[in-house]
Amino acid sequence: MTEPSPTSQPPDPAVFPVHKRRLRLLGLTVEDCIQAFFGGNAVISVVVLGLITFFLVREGAGFLGQNRGNLSIYRLAGLEYVDHLRRQAEDHTALTRYLSDLRLRSLNALTGPGGMELEAANARLAAFDAFASGFEDAADPLRGLVSELSEVAAAIKTRHLVIEDKKEERRQLLAERKLEEAAAVVIPEIDFAAELRPIRDSLPAYRVVNRDLAARLGTLLAALPRLAAPEFQPRVDRFIALARDFLAGFPAIERDLEAWDHTRPVSAGEAFPAFVFGRDWLTASFWQDWYGIVPLLTGSFLVALVALCLAVPLGVGAAVYVNQVASAREQRLIKPGIEFISAFPSVVLGFFGIAVLGQALRALSQQPWLAWMPGFPYSERLNILTAGCLLALIAVPTIFTLAEDALNNVPRALKEASLALGASRLQTTVRIVLPASLSGIISAVLLGLGRVIGETMVVLLCAGNRIAIPDFSQGLGFIVEPVHTMTGIIAQEMGEVVRGSIHYRALFMVGLVLFVLSLSINYSAQHIVRRYRLPSS
Amino acid sequence: MVNLPVRLGSPAVAAPAGVPPVAPSRPLVEIEDLDFSYGVTPALKDITLGIEPRKVTALIGPSGCGKSTLLRCLNRMNDLIEGARITAGSIRIHGVDINQRDVDVIELRKRVGMVFQKSNPFPKSIRENIAYGLRLQGLRDRARLDEIVERSLRGAALWEEVKDRLGESALGLSGGQQQRLCIARTIAVEPEIILMDEPCSALDPVATAKIEELIQELRARYSIVIVTHNMQQAARCSDQTAFFYLGRLVEHAPTRDIFTNPANPQTEAYVSGRFG
Ligand SMILES: Nc1ncnc2c1ncn2[C@@H]1O[C@H](COP(=O)(O)OP(=O)(O)O)[C@@H](O)[C@H]1O
Ligand SMILES: [Mg+2]
Repeated sequence: MTEPSPTSQPPDPAVFPVHKRRLRLLGLTVEDCIQAFFGGNAVISVVVLGLITFFLVREGAGFLGQNRGNLSIYRLAGLEYVDHLRRQAEDHTALTRYLSDLRLRSLNALTGPGGMELEAANARLAAFDAFASGFEDAADPLRGLVSELSEVAAAIKTRHLVIEDKKEERRQLLAERKLEEAAAVVIPEIDFAAELRPIRDSLPAYRVVNRDLAARLGTLLAALPRLAAPEFQPRVDRFIALARDFLAGFPAIERDLEAWDHTRPVSAGEAFPAFVFGRDWLTASFWQDWYGIVPLLTGSFLVALVALCLAVPLGVGAAVYVNQVASAREQRLIKPGIEFISAFPSVVLGFFGIAVLGQALRALSQQPWLAWMPGFPYSERLNILTAGCLLALIAVPTIFTLAEDALNNVPRALKEASLALGASRLQTTVRIVLPASLSGIISAVLLGLGRVIGETMVVLLCAGNRIAIPDFSQGLGFIVEPVHTMTGIIAQEMGEVVRGSIHYRALFMVGLVLFVLSLSINYSAQHIVRRYRLPSS
Repeated sequence: MVNLPVRLGSPAVAAPAGVPPVAPSRPLVEIEDLDFSYGVTPALKDITLGIEPRKVTALIGPSGCGKSTLLRCLNRMNDLIEGARITAGSIRIHGVDINQRDVDVIELRKRVGMVFQKSNPFPKSIRENIAYGLRLQGLRDRARLDEIVERSLRGAALWEEVKDRLGESALGLSGGQQQRLCIARTIAVEPEIILMDEPCSALDPVATAKIEELIQELRARYSIVIVTHNMQQAARCSDQTAFFYLGRLVEHAPTRDIFTNPANPQTEAYVSGRFG
């Protein structure tokens, strides 16, 4: 770029010494090395993230194929057929439970304060008891049929599994090039159609059982004895309605059984919804394993919801107080105090939950003056509420710190402008500071949610670990039911499963769901902050 | 960023009903023997100054001499700073000592509006920026709000530029427009005194000229106290000028006297640009 001097002499560096003079190591300057160090760290973290994602997806993806096999044998071996009948029998059992609940309530009403003696009350309920036992016994033939067919189906499944094991054995031998041994492994074929004949042939017998059951229940219902107490009439009516629904479902079951075809293939499209929408997580069962994430997802979600309901008012409220109201001395006290909570190892919190909080909450729930609270009193010490309270403790520091930052980022000038216009401190906080920091607060809450969803130890110890979707029919009462969570189940079961088995892969699928969930929560938190950031500050 | 406070205005407290009108000779704001410190650091010493009604009073002096501090005393914005307090003396507006316990700062600040150095519109629409002060006072009537919004924007010479975009964010306005919006916002609540703390220091010459023009219009209705670093500006727009140095009031006189015939050699040195 410099014009060659007319004399074309090389420039003398001593006259204008601006050239680089640097120490070089293997051709690299010190600056290059430092740059490479930091760049390398960044690359490593990206690569590690990529590897983890890849690993999760690979392990999880195998699940879909395996679950398809799992569902195929369920159909091939006739388990699906038997489950149609079993479900009918279970529906019937639910009705008998309703009856015994009704009897208990009536008995309590009869023997209540100023009521009659126990024996007299039992005598009054004799007609009802006769009805109830008649109702229960009516399904005996059905139950008999179910257990008979269950054995047949289970036997077919067992044989199938044995054959699968043999196939696996041969595959391994072949892989080890032991051709002779491999050839020696006998793999019998199962003729499913033939095996299933006893099950199929039971259809006429089932029809008879069914017609019988319908007739007996119909007669019983027509002559339902009146309960003495009129206040139970709505419950009785409800029972009759439920029983009629139950009876009305019979033809549909028969049609399902007729149409049932063990050869109908399980499509790949069924294996995925069976996971995502499956309402049962049932493993190592003698009958059939189910891998449905819904109960775990609901559990995680409900615990997180309870936690956020507690943590958001606490965290945001404390942030507003510290940022807007507190004196410098209070700030120095409160801020480290709240941030200190996150210093507790979560296993310690979980232990505290079991030993102290669970007990205390249960004792509290049994106070008569708190009986109006949903779900109170309860007896399960470990449940959504206990876990939620502790998780709230974990979320509060995150929400508090980030919300406080967001409030701090509101330019002081805005606050001053508001005050100079004659706003009170409260008006300034509510009308200017909170709206201006809302996006930051929302993202603080989202990050708190991410923290809570991913937390493992506390839920494993305190959520009760019952794999079931809570019963929402009692309104808010569900918050005192035990649940299991996605993180909890991975921690609990991962150590015990056989590597590569369907159960192992199902756990990876759960991990994948968790990962995607956390990722999207974090992403939306960042997105919200970026999208609504104040232009000036 | 250096955040220089720009304050426009002067504190005015309405005379309570029944108080006779102030005698014309008596200044609107009377600052008497005022000492002020931030914690243990004194910032103002022994200030005695009267501010006339419906006049523009300019406060000048080198950086750090306490002009902003004095301005912020007039609407008690210094209350927000921990440790900051008046250690001696008093400030009276309409004869009322504004630092008495029974004075409601909120009422005071409605009467003594303030415009800051860096324009600070709220992240709301233009209309809502103006309506904010009125809504605080509980005004809900839409028609009345619209009327005051228009009047205030006209008063701040901004109406023609923004009348078609009142619903748009105020942050989309230019710096000069934002500053005029802040003035409009201040006059919407009908103060008596407007404090301005270097209102033009972040603006280009054209926007500055507009604000100066506006100040000329506003002097008819408001008492204005303006801090400025710009000698020409002080000379152009003010009636009275007070020169401060190291926390003391050096000289206070009609602007023309300060610039043409200063009594104090320090004032002379400062206005002629020899220091500061
Ligand atoms: N918030 C504060 N805390 C402590 N000292 C302050 C504060 N604001 C201003 N000061 C000090 O008070 C003195 C006067 O400041 P200020 O009124 O801002 O001066 P000016 O506006 O004339 O430049 C300066 O020495 C400054 O350092
Ligand atoms: Mg200043």
